[in-house]
Amino acid sequence: MDFSLSDEQREIRDWVRTFVRREIMPLEPEVLRRERRGEPGLTHEEHRELRQKAKQAGFWGVLTPQEYGGMGLPAVMAALIEAELGRSFVPFRFGGYADNILFHANEEQKQRYLLPTIAGERISCFAITEPGAGSDAKNIRTSARKDGADWVINGEKTFITGGNEADFAMVFAVTDKDKGAAGGVTCFLVDRDMGWKSEPIDTMGEWGPASLIFDNVRVPEENVLGEVGRGFQLAMQWIGQGRYLLPARALGACERLVEMAIEQSKTRVTFGEPIANRQAIQWMIADSAVEIEALRWLVLHAAWQVDQGMDSRQAQSMAKLYGGVKANEIVDRVLQIHGGMGYTRELPVERWYRELRLLRIYEGTDEIQRRTIARNLIKGHASVRGVLG
Amino acid sequence: MNIVVLVKQVPDTWSERKLTDADHTLDREAADAVLDEINERAVEEALRIKEAQGGEVTVVSMGPDRATDAIRKALSMGADKAVHVSDEALHGSDAVQTARVLAKAIGTVEGYDLILAGNEATDGRAGAVPAMIAELLGLPQLTQARKVSFDGSTVTVERETEEGLTTVQASLPAVVSVTEKINEPRYPSFKGIMAAKKKPVNTVTVADLGIDAGEVGLAGALTTVLEAAPKPPRTAGERVEDDGTGGTKIAEYLVGQKLI
Repeated sequence: MDFSLSDEQREIRDWVRTFVRREIMPLEPEVLRRERRGEPGLTHEEHRELRQKAKQAGFWGVLTPQEYGGMGLPAVMAALIEAELGRSFVPFRFGGYADNILFHANEEQKQRYLLPTIAGERISCFAITEPGAGSDAKNIRTSARKDGADWVINGEKTFITGGNEADFAMVFAVTDKDKGAAGGVTCFLVDRDMGWKSEPIDTMGEWGPASLIFDNVRVPEENVLGEVGRGFQLAMQWIGQGRYLLPARALGACERLVEMAIEQSKTRVTFGEPIANRQAIQWMIADSAVEIEALRWLVLHAAWQVDQGMDSRQAQSMAKLYGGVKANEIVDRVLQIHGGMGYTRELPVERWYRELRLLRIYEGTDEIQRRTIARNLIKGHASVRGVLG
Repeated sequence: MNIVVLVKQVPDTWSERKLTDADHTLDREAADAVLDEINERAVEEALRIKEAQGGEVTVVSMGPDRATDAIRKALSMGADKAVHVSDEALHGSDAVQTARVLAKAIGTVEGYDLILAGNEATDGRAGAVPAMIAELLGLPQLTQARKVSFDGSTVTVERETEEGLTTVQASLPAVVSVTEKINEPRYPSFKGIMAAKKKPVNTVTVADLGIDAGEVGLAGALTTVLEAAPKPPRTAGERVEDDGTGGTKIAEYLVGQKLI
């Protein structure tokens, strides 16, 4: 059993580490200042410039296949990269990415949607969630009715990541009410100029999703993604992509936070001694370090299963659940160790505190992950002995 | 133009750097090890010269086994090959011994026209090794370069020190050490990283270089560290409220500290 990184893995990881230090972290004070003023932390132009800089060195499309100009890296490498990016709260991501289901587009659709999305010329959003259908996605009510050569979509989507910026949406709508999820849901590629509207939703963090309104939006038949009636399978495939990346990012954040806490505990002196000498502080640091270690291996193990072509759903749910729960406990301790300073907006701790809360909610709540994990065990799809049997 | 670039693996300036209690040498376990940033700039300059004039870039480094990481980074950036002097006998070598070993190692590279180095490593900070190597090899030394240019077999350097700016010239081959103003180093490319492992690295011992092990290392060093103390913890500092006289107060403080 080898837990070490190969030379290439370490070099790519270190490349990202250096990039984050030299290009991303110097932006942190300004990002905090802007957010205190209620402005976006990173402008589109700044994000684009950073992506271009990385692209010049070939860091583009981490998981995008090489035939599409990406790096085509394995999941383990993607997780290691994501953890490095997570060490800064600046919301940077490498460019060259497209949602996995867009690769199911036909050749003509690939030219119009997939390739421009990878190139960063178009922005997509994935629209399935509705006010009455979240984790219970089978309950979606947005409908698409055939009218001549077109489909006419009506309904509302909500909490759509990227919905404010997107110029096209992958919209899931009921095309056959009787069949429901089993053959009655279709995915459409819907350009914004076909008539849908978006409204921003304010949140407690940096995540700024949107509501999308579809009021008799006409979509031509050629914009069906995949097959009519096969949309739900696509949706499940989208949801299953790269869930391990979410706790990977949180892992990086936790590492940085605990480093900050250690530094703080060594410099903050109370009653004549650094608080690092206090058992209460030491236990918080120790527990956090153990949990970070556990999270690291849960994430990498889930990614490894993806690379092995194994059914990784159990491992991904475990990593996502543990990452969400523990990152929130860790950031709470780190804030506590910083005392009053931790609660101020001078330091990024409170920002992470708000940001990491999202991890317990989106892309499957803690409760949904637990449900998945328990069901897999009860039905015998997974064993508490894990993959070693 | 064939160029030799001297590189060094140093403890990351981002981590806490320490000396060992036993012999006051660098505690290599205490900090992450990285290619010194000033060496990245030296490699960058070498690559730019190569891109303009052709030739080959050879990286030369002295350090323990794990210094291969720093060498690989230079190769990932685009250097062609490397010589790595790795020998336990080197532990604790000082600047003079290091210069002697590196001069010998440079001698294994055939037909070099230029030796590039950083002006000063971020760990030892002696800032003397490039000059010593020039002396040992009988070559002209042009240190503290912020700009380098060539005209035939003449190298011209803008040399920047606290005393000011001077322009110095020499005929090749020569030793040039660069400051951090020389350039902005490139990031290694993804392709470069993947290609680096196929590039030749010649690992040699001191014996391979014809040096007696007794001449190097802590015991034979000309300099000795007698004592070392960790840096004092950071203190809270002094807060200056700006009521219009903030600038003056800061200036007064700095004068009081004899900083200006």
